Amino acid sequence: MITVNNVYKSFGKNEVLKGISLNVEKGEKLALIGPSGSGKSTLLRCLNLLEEIKYGEVWLDGKLLTPVDPYLHFDVIEKSNTFKKVCAELAQAGTPESEIREKAILKIKKEDLLKPFEGREYRAAVKKIFKENYLNINLARRCMGMVFQQFNLFNNMNVLNNMIYAPVKLKIMTKAQAEEKAAALLKRIGLPDKADAFPSSLSGGQKQRIAIARSLMMNPEVMLFDEPTSALDPEMVGEVLALIKELADEGMTMVIVTHEMGFAREVATRVLFMDGGNILEEGAPEKIFTQPQNERLKDFLSKVL
Amino acid sequence: MNAALLAGFFKNFAKVFTETAYLKMLFKGLETTLIISIGAAAIGLLLGSLVAIVKITPKKNKFMLIPNFICDVYTTVIRGTPMALQLFLMAFVIFAIRGFPNELTAIFAFGINSGAYVAENIRAGILSVDRGQSEAGRALGLNGRQTMLKIVVPQGMKNVIPALGNEIIALIKETSIVSMIGMVDLTAAAKIIGSGQNLATYLAPTAVAALFYLIIVYLLTFAIKLIERKLRKSDNRK
Ligand SMILES: Nc1ncnc2c1ncn2[C@@H]1O[C@H](COP(=O)(O)OP(=O)(O)O)[C@@H](O)[C@H]1O
Ligand SMILES: [Mg+2]
Repeated sequence: MITVNNVYKSFGKNEVLKGISLNVEKGEKLALIGPSGSGKSTLLRCLNLLEEIKYGEVWLDGKLLTPVDPYLHFDVIEKSNTFKKVCAELAQAGTPESEIREKAILKIKKEDLLKPFEGREYRAAVKKIFKENYLNINLARRCMGMVFQQFNLFNNMNVLNNMIYAPVKLKIMTKAQAEEKAAALLKRIGLPDKADAFPSSLSGGQKQRIAIARSLMMNPEVMLFDEPTSALDPEMVGEVLALIKELADEGMTMVIVTHEMGFAREVATRVLFMDGGNILEEGAPEKIFTQPQNERLKDFLSKVL
Repeated sequence: MNAALLAGFFKNFAKVFTETAYLKMLFKGLETTLIISIGAAAIGLLLGSLVAIVKITPKKNKFMLIPNFICDVYTTVIRGTPMALQLFLMAFVIFAIRGFPNELTAIFAFGINSGAYVAENIRAGILSVDRGQSEAGRALGLNGRQTMLKIVVPQGMKNVIPALGNEIIALIKETSIVSMIGMVDLTAAAKIIGSGQNLATYLAPTAVAALFYLIIVYLLTFAIKLIERKLRKSDNRK
């Protein structure tokens, strides 16, 4: 469903993601764990492009969300002027004919040799991939619900408008349909009488449940959670986790960044351990939590469990 | 204070209001002050909003690079040089055209000056809105404009309105330097009334002028408070 291909991301000089590749299948519940500052939030935010990435591509349901990364397409590299130049150089150096292509591509990738302008053929090849696969990010985001650590309910709108504004504005449903759906969702999350309330009058747990309901208004195919319970008072964590678990049981695809190891173990179908901008280990929750291989994962688990 | 002095002050104070010639001068001056202030505030708000829009448009939009640069130069130069100098330049260099109305020169000078401060106020107000608000909007699939207009700007305005009010109040008081280019505003009128050929004392007429400024500022402050309260009400209703 979501494919992340060799994604690099940096903030200024700070390299935060160092070549992440990842596949999220339909129905999967992925838990991202790792120490603070390891790049979990950044990775999650790259999935719906709240962060712009430097290299790499993100795909959703076979549609490209990012610009084309030429380094991921050998047939594009082959059309570049640099490729021709490197091939000529290799030939001159006496490289066997059969190895030239492979070696040239490797060299170009390794040394980051592609320039912004690489000739007309190259440009056409990039354009072709883009044209055939590109999906506007605003359309893509409709299928990806996102829940933030700080809830981010719209402070200038009441609960009902928080929920119906986007689907109505984007003409996904009529106002009447949206209101009906919102009422049903509010009832489901146990807050049927809060439609007129403003966010400032709600508790953290209520805000987060409404934020989840707001995402659900768009009928997303996948939900992204960024530490959904980290900003909550302890007594409110349970109600939010219960709602997320309910969604998981219904078959919602989800990616969850969390420090709730018990929850990850219970709900996730796959756990990814990140540190220093890399995915260091991944696997079934049982395996990750009972037989960790990576030293840093062991160290991390000994601190949090 | 000496009783005789006090009596003299009140006599002169009354005189400013009773002598038709003085009263006329005073109100003519008030009119000039108001015309310049209102005109400049209108230009300032318009220009400032435009500049603020340019400045908060994401930098990665290539079409905005040149406008952005122009706006940066504009706010830096205007805020970095004295108002009196700008007015002088407008009157004696840029609009040094025979027959060009002084009022317009002053309106442009103060309007262009005010625009720079308005732009900074609006920009700061918009930027003060938590980034999570616009991220939540974008994450739902709303585009940048929809998010800005419906989510960020309404919240930013709450912070912008008081700052804009202060800016307009400062503007009104600052217009008192127009006598520099030979215009007679409220301050200049008080000075003329107090001069040797007239009352021969500045105390009473300046006090009257001060009273007028105070009344205007008070009314404005009141209006801003009303707007603020209204904005807050729609925001935090329980
Ligand atoms: N907007 C940003 N600007 C600059 N640096 C950032 C920004 N967001 C995150 N970072 C940096 O990226 C690194 C990873 O952050 P993050 O993805 O939030 O980690 P995690 O969620 O795993 O705690 C940190 O070093 C953080 O300081
Ligand atoms: Mg984080």
